[in-house]
Amino acid sequence: MKRAAAIMLALSLALGLNGCGSGLTIFSNYRRLENIELVRTVTADAEGGDITATVYSDAGKESDPRMYQRTASSIGVALGELQLMALGRVALLSHTENMLIGEELAAESLGECLDYVERYSEMRLDTGLMIVREGTARELVSGLSGPDAPSSDVIKGFADNISRAGQGYVFSCREIIASLCENGYALAMCVAGEKAEDKLFESRGELDIRPRGLAVLTAEGISGFLDDEETTGALLVLSKYRSKDMDIPVGDTVVTLDLDGFETQVRPVFDREGALRGMKIKLHVSANIINLSGTAEVSRRDYRERAQDELSRELREAIEAAVGRSQEMGIDFLDLRGFAARAEPIKLQDMPGSFEEALPDLEVEVTAESSIRRTYDIMDPPQTAKDKEVKNPWENLIESLRDS
Amino acid sequence: MFRKNTEKPRTPGPGGAGTVSAAGIAGVFRDCYDFELRKLRLGGEGLEVALAFVDGLVSGGDISEQVIRPLTEARRFPAGTTAQGAMESMLSGSVYAYTAKKRQNLEEAVDDILNGYCAVIFDGEGVAVTFEVKTDQRRSVEAPKEEKVVKGSKDAFVETMKTNTSLVRRKLHNPHLKIRDFSVGEKSKTALTLIYIEGFTNPEMVEEAAKRISAIECEGALNSGIIESGLVDNPRSPFPQVLHTERVDKFCLNLLEGRFGVLVDGIPFGFLAPGTFSQFLKVPEDHTQHFLVASALTLLRYFSVALTLLAPAFYVAVAMYHQEMIPTRLMLSMIEAKQQVPFPTAMEALMMLLAFELLQEAGIRLPSPIGETVSIIGALIVGQSAVEASVVSPVVVVVIALAGIAGYTMPNQDLGAALRICRFILVLMAIALGMFGISLGCALLVYHLAGLESYGVPYMTPFAGSEGREFSRALLRRSFQVKRDREPALRTGPGGEAKL
Repeated sequence: MKRAAAIMLALSLALGLNGCGSGLTIFSNYRRLENIELVRTVTADAEGGDITATVYSDAGKESDPRMYQRTASSIGVALGELQLMALGRVALLSHTENMLIGEELAAESLGECLDYVERYSEMRLDTGLMIVREGTARELVSGLSGPDAPSSDVIKGFADNISRAGQGYVFSCREIIASLCENGYALAMCVAGEKAEDKLFESRGELDIRPRGLAVLTAEGISGFLDDEETTGALLVLSKYRSKDMDIPVGDTVVTLDLDGFETQVRPVFDREGALRGMKIKLHVSANIINLSGTAEVSRRDYRERAQDELSRELREAIEAAVGRSQEMGIDFLDLRGFAARAEPIKLQDMPGSFEEALPDLEVEVTAESSIRRTYDIMDPPQTAKDKEVKNPWENLIESLRDS
Repeated sequence: MFRKNTEKPRTPGPGGAGTVSAAGIAGVFRDCYDFELRKLRLGGEGLEVALAFVDGLVSGGDISEQVIRPLTEARRFPAGTTAQGAMESMLSGSVYAYTAKKRQNLEEAVDDILNGYCAVIFDGEGVAVTFEVKTDQRRSVEAPKEEKVVKGSKDAFVETMKTNTSLVRRKLHNPHLKIRDFSVGEKSKTALTLIYIEGFTNPEMVEEAAKRISAIECEGALNSGIIESGLVDNPRSPFPQVLHTERVDKFCLNLLEGRFGVLVDGIPFGFLAPGTFSQFLKVPEDHTQHFLVASALTLLRYFSVALTLLAPAFYVAVAMYHQEMIPTRLMLSMIEAKQQVPFPTAMEALMMLLAFELLQEAGIRLPSPIGETVSIIGALIVGQSAVEASVVSPVVVVVIALAGIAGYTMPNQDLGAALRICRFILVLMAIALGMFGISLGCALLVYHLAGLESYGVPYMTPFAGSEGREFSRALLRRSFQVKRDREPALRTGPGGEAKL
């Protein structure tokens, strides 16, 4: 026991003498909590062959958010040099919530930025990545900041709510890097700043952040952009929506539907020789009526069916638009190959030629079904699964057999 | 505290060893103001004897009525009665005392006198006859003070050995309940009993316990520490290895599970061994509450162990080295709170831990009402003032208080104290090496605990040294409708199934 205690004591003394020490500790990762400047947003823009990195930090309610900027040959060097500007504080990148990259830089060297996120241990892979169109990322983020609304909070609120609002989806660096490594392509959310004319609060900044579709990324950079309809189609196929509100014209009225349930089935179609002939994309959406412009009896069956047909048509067109864009670009950003691989792995492996070669000529059949579950009309109680089963059990059975 | 006595036992006074005489006994008890030696004549006018006893240990009324009155009656001891005849008469019932012993050895006679006997000494014969006339001045059986339960029996052990053994006998009407007696302490001669159920408790365990009790060397076995250190396998470990309880029902339940118990005269609780870690996290309520409630509370106590042990160390490691683990909002409030605090996190945590221990110690040592006041003042005023004066940040106060409260849920205070020591060590390791330090500390702790054994039973049973299905025995309490077999690690005897 005495010997063990002596060895422990000697070792602890030796640890203190190894030259790596900093104050109480020998661990080089030591940072004093009160000296930390928490970086929440990072932007990167191209600047005459160099990269300008800007970080927006926070140090609690008592201190105003700070912005540091540095231009260097690479984003790593720029962010490293920012430490020198932090006025004796430590700029901690581990809490970076979002990274915004200017369109010009993304087109030139997006891979470098992603490489930095991937390799630098302080950065988190779940950092959201957005590409800023129509201007630089720095201008957008600076314009968002108001006296009581730090730009980091505004961007975080946007990223958290955009998929709930059904207007886009902020892909994380992890998703983008993984998709680029596995498939050679990825999608990224695009945003732009708009002048905030209808400012609800004086404390907000001069700009509002708005979605601008999706960017299709490859190893070379940006290959193209998807417009709103194509974005909707792509995100429906990829099941990235949590809900979505859509205005659907039905006769003289416009009904607002809240889409709250999405189910996408994608199956490949092979011919007898084993060649991939096409894909079948089947979408089923459930929706609720949340608003009505005009006068109509929404509980009537024919009105509901017309609204469902109209919704199905719009969604089908959105998916067809996304598929068409994918075939036009020759980039499988809808991950149709992945769907095919999961459904028919052996056939896909044995098919002549590659999927990418077959993609432009694939016959893609898109079907969309929608059902309005609730109209919130007092005369129209919600139809439950139980009611459905009682009314027509044989139909349900036949339908389930057909599906299987 | 007590050192091993290497001196030879001294001869008991001028009377010389072995010979019983009034002078010898008086010599042994010289300068003892409570010792009484009185001359009597048997039958009033016959043979002269001496009556010796210690006032306070014996009942004056009982001596007068049961011993002196019969001895002085002429019809019992007529004139001319010889010493031999008188002794035979006394031993055959002339004296009303229920226990009578013939002593020819001075040491035995002195022991009897010290145990509440009075001795009638025949000087010429070198013999004494001793009668048990103990006083009834003892604490009555009361409800448990430390281990209270709502739906449980209300009898607790007292300081008197015979009362305690009778309490056990009243709970277990079984002839296989064996009570072996021992005497511990060279000077105190404290009575100690080893209690077990023959056929249930592993006989090797019982023999080992008897061996260890006999080997206890001390001058006075007047506190539990001496007995406990003599019973355990690893006296150097801070973790308790012997369970102690003041509850008779808990004592008996453990006997039924195959453990053995030890009762010590003068100590109002019983010891139970072998003690395992999981045993220290069980409370008497476990057997009175619904099994789901009891299981949930047991799991909560395990969670408390982790919390009290790791919370401060985890906070220190995360705040000093691994800030990336803290959620952004929490991190912002922590940074903000820390801006005004002049001390580093390590110092803050150590200061608060120390302050907590000081308050706790002050609360225990002071008399009850003052102690409670000090605790409240300490917790509320000092803590709040420290935060307001920016001496410590509020998160540290919360973390340390949380760890302290979690520590209070430990049913066994010895286990709580051991965890407090480990908590300090883990904090120091976290200060030096962050999460790696905590990992290292936990590995060493597990290594230490897994290496402990109590009478051949692994201390971490059933988490170590048993199959996984035994885990539920420690973590949950099964329904009484399910017939339980006894803990395999205790290696109980045949018929090892008991519905408890």
